[in-house]
Amino acid sequence: MGGDKTKIILSITPPLLIIILLFYGGIFYGLVQSLGYQPAIGKYEINLDAYYNILFSERYAKLFWTGLALNLWVSFVSTFLAAVLALFAALAIRKTFFGKTVCNFIYSLNLPMPHLVVAVGIIFVFSQSGLLARMLAQLNIIASPGDFPVLVKDKYGVGIILAYIWKESAFFFIILMSVLQSLGENFEELAQSLGANRWQRFRYVILPLVMPSLFSASIIVFAFSFGAYEVPALLGVIYPQMLPVMAFEFFLNPDLNARSEGMALSIIIALIVMILVIFYFWLTQTRIRKD
Amino acid sequence: MTEVNIVNLIKNFSGMTRPAVDNISINIRNGELIALLGPSGCGKTTILKMITGLLTPDNGDILLDKQSILSVPTEKRNVVMVFQNYLLFPYMNVNENVGFSLKMKGDDPKIINKRVQEMLELVKLPDIGERRPKQLSGGQQQRVALARALIANPRLLLLDEPLSNLDAHLRDEMRELITSIQKKLEVTCMFVTHDQEEAVLLADKIALIFDGKLQNFAEPKEFYEKPINVSAAKFFGGVNFIELNKNANYFHSSIGNITSNQTNINELNTKCIATIRPENIKISKENIYQDNFFKGKIKSVIFSGTHTRYKIVINNLNLECSLQSLGIQNIKKEDEVFVNLPKDKIWIMNE
Ligand SMILES: Nc1ncnc2c1ncn2[C@@H]1O[C@H](COP(=O)(O)OP(=O)(O)OP(=O)(O)O)[C@@H](O)[C@H]1O
Ligand SMILES: [Mg+2]
Repeated sequence: MGGDKTKIILSITPPLLIIILLFYGGIFYGLVQSLGYQPAIGKYEINLDAYYNILFSERYAKLFWTGLALNLWVSFVSTFLAAVLALFAALAIRKTFFGKTVCNFIYSLNLPMPHLVVAVGIIFVFSQSGLLARMLAQLNIIASPGDFPVLVKDKYGVGIILAYIWKESAFFFIILMSVLQSLGENFEELAQSLGANRWQRFRYVILPLVMPSLFSASIIVFAFSFGAYEVPALLGVIYPQMLPVMAFEFFLNPDLNARSEGMALSIIIALIVMILVIFYFWLTQTRIRKD
Repeated sequence: MTEVNIVNLIKNFSGMTRPAVDNISINIRNGELIALLGPSGCGKTTILKMITGLLTPDNGDILLDKQSILSVPTEKRNVVMVFQNYLLFPYMNVNENVGFSLKMKGDDPKIINKRVQEMLELVKLPDIGERRPKQLSGGQQQRVALARALIANPRLLLLDEPLSNLDAHLRDEMRELITSIQKKLEVTCMFVTHDQEEAVLLADKIALIFDGKLQNFAEPKEFYEKPINVSAAKFFGGVNFIELNKNANYFHSSIGNITSNQTNINELNTKCIATIRPENIKISKENIYQDNFFKGKIKSVIFSGTHTRYKIVINNLNLECSLQSLGIQNIKKEDEVFVNLPKDKIWIMNE
């Protein structure tokens, strides 16, 4: 037994080292820079100035807090709506063979699609010069494409939310389909024979049964959309700006003094995401222990 | 208290060459306990699901107290099914599980609590209301499932393989609990089993089903003494079969002529089969018999406590005979004996 353990540890050590180096090395390097240590421009002092600037200074605080609010809003709304959409899609089509095949195909195709492609698709369909606006104008439902509401590059992040809903609902859908499949229909049939109508079966049987998986999936999706860059970069506005985009712009800033602020911002994002992931692990672990 | 009439019920599934349920009719009286007995895949669960409304029959009707329930949706039928694997809701405690159907009806929580307590006492588990299903043994889960089914006073209670997931000693206990509760509440009840012994011990009447077809619907005793055909006889442990040719007033067989007291001889085909239970065959070294006796040879003797089992061969026909061990003659392997098939105990049926 002891020999086996050593073998396992030895065999996973090289990849583990690489992962640790890349991940923690990156974090460490970022952390050091965020603390103001930048030998390249002759800064050796360690302090929390960059964090202070981001969180409280007149110059950045407003940007940061509105950005954080937008981040929370976009992640929360898109995660919630994607989960709801996926749940209804999964419930609606799970018993029809044709619907199941079609939906599975669309969603499976959607899952590996780069976020960038989805963002471009959203522009193509939902922008004021997009497909939908032109179609509605053609049909005389709106006078001209310019009357179409601003859904892309808008200050409420509607375009970003749409992109995330489209993309993440695929993830939810695939998880839900496998959960529903493994649960089977026996619980619902039993509840029905005990007098539960359609709504009660949803409320008292399906929902509590899928909730644990749905909730853990939500944490992952939330954490991902919270830290992701490319969709808000393409579909967002200058102000309010989502935090990952802001961090990246700090990073590109020719003024190397702004580097520390950018890194401080990145560390803050990473911290929030990591807390969510730890929460996720805690949640799934306690559930496994309970089982 | 409900009378149930199942009339010419038919159900086909795509991908099956024969109907899963093939023209089955069963009439059940108020408060009777009925077993649906048959091997795996014969259509038992399908019948229960049609009665609950979870499946729609292709043909036929189901009546409760003379009224068809086919147009009534499952949730309004008040026909409750207890599934084989109990299916307690894992996210609810025992109290919530048992009270489920009353909650769905919108009953007052106080009334629900009181009824839940009554039901848990009925199934002899008064103190486990706060526990989660995972904290219960298999037998306890089964009883909670039963309490959950009974709380709404169902018109008809359906149990799918209620005992098959329990160990032998729990099975006896549960069987007694089911019969006592069923008689006490006078609820009409159908249960599914593939175990003939269980059916015999529990049921007032047994519906024997093979390949979706009802073979016989009768009291347990009849399945032993007057089986409807060879497969039914075999299912109930029948081992002795003799091929016959029907003549005017006797039957011809490879071991000689056989006579019978049976009254339904007119219904028998020319080619038919006689059967007799091992405990009804008599053997003796002396010829002390009047009719239906044959000379045979003992092929083996197996002592099993209260009974001793003999394998006998007459010409080429093998028979098994079982005698009480106490006070039997000294009959050994290879002995020549006279074998008697009493004519009031022999049963003749079509194949
Ligand atoms: N939904 C379905 N679709 C297709 N075939 C089905 C379906 N449900 C049952 N069958 C088939 O119908 C037949 C009867 O099934 P059923 O479940 O009623 O058998 P059963 O007597 O309950 O068997 P068991 O003792 O194994 O539970 C089987 O051959 C089964 O494969
Ligand atoms: Mg079954």
